[in-house]
Amino acid sequence: MHRVSHFFKDLHKNLPILLMVLPGAIGFILFSYLPMGGTLLSFKQYRYNGEGFISSFLSSDWVGLRNFKFLFGTNDAYIITRNTLLYNAAFIILGTFAAIAMAILLSEIVNKRLSKLYQTGMFLPHFMSYVIVGFFVYSFLNMDKGLLNSILERFDLQTVSWYTTPKYWPYILTLTNLWKTIGYSSVVYLAAITGFDRSLYEAAMIDGASKWRQIRNITLPLLKPLIIIMTLLAVGRIFYADFGLFYNIPRDSGALYPVTNVIDTYVYRGLKTTGEMGMTAAAGLYQSIVGFILVVTSNYVVRRIDKDSSLF
Amino acid sequence: MKKSSRLSLILVLVLAFTAILSACGGAKKEGSAGTAGNQEAKKDVELIWYNIGTPQKDTDLVMAEVSKYTSEKIGVTVKMKQIDFGDYTQKMQVLTQSGEQMDILFTASWGFDYVQNARKGAFMELNDLLDQYGQGIKDTLDPAFLEGSKVDGKNYGIPANKELPAQDVWRFNKQWLDKYNLDITGVRSMESLEPLLKTIKDNEPNVVPFMIDRNFIPNLPYDYIIQNLPLAVKLDTTDYKIVNILETPELKEALKTMRKYYQAGYIASEVATTTDNSDLTLTGNWFMDRPTTQPFADNLWTASLGYPVVSTPATDAIIYNWSVMGSLQAISANSEHPVEAMKFLNLLNTDPYLRNLVDSGIEGVHYEKIGDNVAKNLDKSRDYDMPTFAIGNIMLTYLQEGDPEDKWEGFREFNEAGTPAPLLGFNFDSSNVSAELAALTNAKDQFWAPLMTGSVDPDKYTPMAIEQLKAAGLDNVMAEAQRQLDEWLAAQK
Repeated sequence: MHRVSHFFKDLHKNLPILLMVLPGAIGFILFSYLPMGGTLLSFKQYRYNGEGFISSFLSSDWVGLRNFKFLFGTNDAYIITRNTLLYNAAFIILGTFAAIAMAILLSEIVNKRLSKLYQTGMFLPHFMSYVIVGFFVYSFLNMDKGLLNSILERFDLQTVSWYTTPKYWPYILTLTNLWKTIGYSSVVYLAAITGFDRSLYEAAMIDGASKWRQIRNITLPLLKPLIIIMTLLAVGRIFYADFGLFYNIPRDSGALYPVTNVIDTYVYRGLKTTGEMGMTAAAGLYQSIVGFILVVTSNYVVRRIDKDSSLF
Repeated sequence: MKKSSRLSLILVLVLAFTAILSACGGAKKEGSAGTAGNQEAKKDVELIWYNIGTPQKDTDLVMAEVSKYTSEKIGVTVKMKQIDFGDYTQKMQVLTQSGEQMDILFTASWGFDYVQNARKGAFMELNDLLDQYGQGIKDTLDPAFLEGSKVDGKNYGIPANKELPAQDVWRFNKQWLDKYNLDITGVRSMESLEPLLKTIKDNEPNVVPFMIDRNFIPNLPYDYIIQNLPLAVKLDTTDYKIVNILETPELKEALKTMRKYYQAGYIASEVATTTDNSDLTLTGNWFMDRPTTQPFADNLWTASLGYPVVSTPATDAIIYNWSVMGSLQAISANSEHPVEAMKFLNLLNTDPYLRNLVDSGIEGVHYEKIGDNVAKNLDKSRDYDMPTFAIGNIMLTYLQEGDPEDKWEGFREFNEAGTPAPLLGFNFDSSNVSAELAALTNAKDQFWAPLMTGSVDPDKYTPMAIEQLKAAGLDNVMAEAQRQLDEWLAAQK
């Protein structure tokens, strides 16, 4: 009895906050928890019976782990896993470095109008679809009329057939990704930096600390928790490749698959013709499980080193 | 402090209320629309028809006109939803799998795969419905269509009455032929094109001599088991042995030619990633390509391109599975009105007024009649441009200006002259090897376009492609296909 009244008292006290959480929580339940039931689809051979999804789902046969076979059955499995992990690791590391550097630079610009201009300019690519970016890149790399080959020709150098030469693509893809994402992620860091207590910097300046010193000893330590959270969140999605980037930028060129095929594009190519729902669900489940394990372990590692910085 | 917390409470409550209110409002709106639909349904059955093609501005307008007519004739109204060519397969996969309400839908060997989806249970079996309500279809349609589009002995779709065999042609942009006085008689094999291509390449640096895209495959005397996978039997086969097309001498020879043409600059350098050549067809900066033909196609092409083209055969006219199943209308497995849907399909395939209304729009608005059965497009036809081949019997449609009087007679002759391919009637069931197919598609995509378009050296890449395909399980699929084919052959005897 006591516990119940305590619960209601608690509820009453926190009502405004709970109400604020409500819409988000409902959305979360509807769009994240409810669909989890659908992962069962990955153990079924989905066939429709004409009476709607639920009924078809129930009447489909269980097939055990057969739907997962296509992900691991071939030697492509190694290539797509390697590509997905390495590209995303590179994006996380380079992206974080670049975003922090940009945020610090932007925060140091005295002319606020210029700073806003740069920020907006860097933010713009974020709103562009990779389909369009793909054509930008194509105008650089086209074999006959592309900008890069025109320059090479100008200097009497051997032109390159970019879309059939895999060795350049790790750089092209990383560069494109940085160009597109850096504006957005630096805003997060910039917001944190502008919130820092100015008196810390003033005190440091009185003590004669250089700009570099201030960055190293004030800005970066204060940013640390945020960096860790952002990185942990990114690690959780390390097994999800950006489909737009890996499909549209190389223009789906077959000769580049060894360096551009990632889990998402592999699943798309494999299933676009057969349309087996069970197998797509299996791929999604596999990615979620690996992401989950990675977040939990990296959080565990962070907690061992610095308890306050860990997510949970 | 206290004041501010109260304020925030009020704010939150207001937000919550607006959310609830808007949700209610939305629900109410939907509910009323639902009841209105029900009331209408008491009078007429509304058929939902998913069709392939770029969505048109005037679709609803024309469908209202269609509904007026069908409501009188068979008591149905029609609502058409269009999905663009590039999206059709994928969107329909999601729509059917999630149980979206629909009655009639377009399907074909190349768009929302007819055979596969029939096996998955997306379509209703039509044999009984055809016997009861589809007599008109049975009377007008070439029997080869209904026979050839059976899946495991049953019909799941109504094929459009159109050209039955498939024949590829070399199509030439006439302005360049005339300019250099080139002669296309005697052109047939790919090798025979070379002198023509060379003339254009040498004299017209801005013209692409041989216009192809990444989906190009040289014509080979083989019949494929599955579209887009290198498993096939020879067209003149007697033992029905399935081979890997990459290992055949014919392909080796063809790829050598393609490589030569690519290196000579007859083919655009970025061909392996090109999906669309409409910039070339718009400007006319191309010399020749290789489309699939139908009788009097030159007229059709000349009209749609806006400049004259001529063509000459590149292959024989052969009746393949995929050409028979080139365009069908099926009834969805979850349709609540299959009888009405069949009645409508029957009318669509037999009634010239309805067929032309759906195809060309409203007379006097989208087109005008300039003869007994000859129509001329008006400016408004731009707002209602339908893919004629996709919506049933094309032999009911009005002739266009300049078409020969005996156009449909020409189609019938063309259909009779076609020779059946060895695998006509055999449909591979891929459900036992779906994991291998997913891996194979990836392995194939990696090599296919660069190899077939001559973008890479075939001597180096063909062995690599063969090896990768084997690693992805090609032999398993081949064995399974051979087993099914042998069973089918035994059953034929």
